[in-house]
Amino acid sequence: MENFMELLLQPLRDFGITILQFVPNLLAMLIIFIAGFLFSRLIKLFFLRIFRIINFDSWCDKAGLTAIIRKGDIWSKPSDVFGSIIYGFLIILFLVIGLSALRLPTIDNLIAQFFLYIPRAFSALVILIAGYVFAGFISRAVLITAVNSGYHYAKILAEAVRLLLIVLILAMSLEQLQIAPGIVIAAFSIVFGGIILALAIAFGIGGIDAAKRIINSGEPERPEQPKQNNEKKNDKEREAEYL
Amino acid sequence: MDNADILVGIASYNNAKTIGHVVKAVDAGLAKYFPEKRALIVNSDGGSKDGTPDIVRSATHDHAAIFLSHPVYPIHRISMPYNGIPGKGSAFRALFRTAVELNAEACCVVDADLRSITPEWIELLLSPVIRKGFDFVAPLYSRHKYDGTITNSIVYPVTRTLYGRRVRQPIGGEFGFSGKMAEFYVSQDVWESHVARFGVDIWMTTEAIANDFKVCQTFLGAKIHDPKDPGSDLADMLLQVVATLFNLTEKHYEKWKDERGSSDVPTFGFRYHVGLESVKVNAEKMLGIFRAGLKDLRGIWLDIIGPGDLGEIESLGSLTDGEFRFPAGLWARIVYDYVLAYHKKVMSPEHLIRSLVPLYLGKTASFVMEAENMEQEGAEAEIEKLCLEFENKKDYLVTNWK
Repeated sequence: MENFMELLLQPLRDFGITILQFVPNLLAMLIIFIAGFLFSRLIKLFFLRIFRIINFDSWCDKAGLTAIIRKGDIWSKPSDVFGSIIYGFLIILFLVIGLSALRLPTIDNLIAQFFLYIPRAFSALVILIAGYVFAGFISRAVLITAVNSGYHYAKILAEAVRLLLIVLILAMSLEQLQIAPGIVIAAFSIVFGGIILALAIAFGIGGIDAAKRIINSGEPERPEQPKQNNEKKNDKEREAEYL
Repeated sequence: MDNADILVGIASYNNAKTIGHVVKAVDAGLAKYFPEKRALIVNSDGGSKDGTPDIVRSATHDHAAIFLSHPVYPIHRISMPYNGIPGKGSAFRALFRTAVELNAEACCVVDADLRSITPEWIELLLSPVIRKGFDFVAPLYSRHKYDGTITNSIVYPVTRTLYGRRVRQPIGGEFGFSGKMAEFYVSQDVWESHVARFGVDIWMTTEAIANDFKVCQTFLGAKIHDPKDPGSDLADMLLQVVATLFNLTEKHYEKWKDERGSSDVPTFGFRYHVGLESVKVNAEKMLGIFRAGLKDLRGIWLDIIGPGDLGEIESLGSLTDGEFRFPAGLWARIVYDYVLAYHKKVMSPEHLIRSLVPLYLGKTASFVMEAENMEQEGAEAEIEKLCLEFENKKDYLVTNWK
């Protein structure tokens, strides 16, 4: 009978011991959560102040980041958005640290994976932001150069360049995140190849005249062009000098 | 040669066709007007592949055949390659260094592609330095009314308005300067910028004016040179010149902010009328690029010039070619807006200045049509009106400069 009682009480005793061992961990977790929450708030306020000092919102306007945020139907100021992102990241970080205080093997495994993933997520984010700014810069350069060259489809060309770069940047970010890399590479190849093919066809159809002009301009002798307004034809005439 | 009184610099790149004539004219000018001075002709070459340096060394001139007097000292010539970014400015830098090393009293630089240079040019560029004590001599030419449109619509009005001195050809290409001026140029750290290329002319002129060196101009007659290099793209030239001009505006803010109005600089040389070659322009093509800019660069222009002036430009876009006129006041405000946008770093300097090209072409097309039936004097009067618009609107620039 004593043995039977022992059999009944032992699990309860073990459970009690486990609970007693677990409670400090739980308390540690709660303290980390609360401290983390307060610390994250402080850091957010700190960054908001820094953003205000360096005029971050106006920089975002110029760099086109505000436009991206607006496209995502977010109407807060960029400094608030980035402040919230930093805050959210810190909250997640403290959540993970807090959970690790529980010392549960399953959670420990998840946390280890989470920390291994942070550098990848960070580099993907950097690629996305830098890539977007870079795509905007190159697209604007193409637009201005094409307009100055008298190219009729300057805007379409610039948008096509931007689209190609954004596809490339998205593929790079997803590849960095290791989200179905095989599918990403295949999808990228299909989309990128498709865009190039579409552009080639579009130029082939829409640019017949332009192509003719380009080919003709390479010929040694050109047929006489009709006289244009304000352009006097004379062998002794020269081009005007700019400087 | 350890010392020289005079140094004449010729920057070249593949100018075999014309440099022989330039060297002979320089040589004759030195022999005729400065026979008692020790002179050196320096060719700073950018790696010509057509034998330009050989022609410099071998071009001969029989002084006895044309002059009663002979130079006391032989006129030496050297041809040397320069280092750094390929361009006119880097070539000039090598010339400035040589002038300083040789302790030259007076120097001048002339283009290697000139066809109209005569020995008198050397006298006209050097005498104000040697005999009148000037530090910087800018050229003054008879030019076709359609030539020098960057000078006439941007560089001259802005330089004149900012610094208050009327140097009519601030980027003329031929300059005279003192040894002191050469020393100043060498000491500046600008040789990795656009100054190393086409920006050097406006840089030399502006630094001379802004640093209170004694500045004058001299009338040289007509400037005729070889047809320009087809590779010398308008947008690149505009970028190099205007970026340098805007950089100098940043640098000399304290100097120009209180300056109002403008005054003539002393002018030397005998002014006469010159028959000029006719020039072809295609205003229709210029307007095409202006309208393309209006269609595609609207967003960029809005950031730079604001909605008010953009609205005025849009209303120009709806005019027919015959009716098209770009108001001088609007152009002055636009140029000032670009100066301000450059100062406030609204976007990358290269994009900013390149986006000015369609507006500049619109303004140029308007000028071509306005001046079509004008004589040279009439066209010059239009440029004077434009300069006055710039001067009258200077407060706009000063007030918005923060």
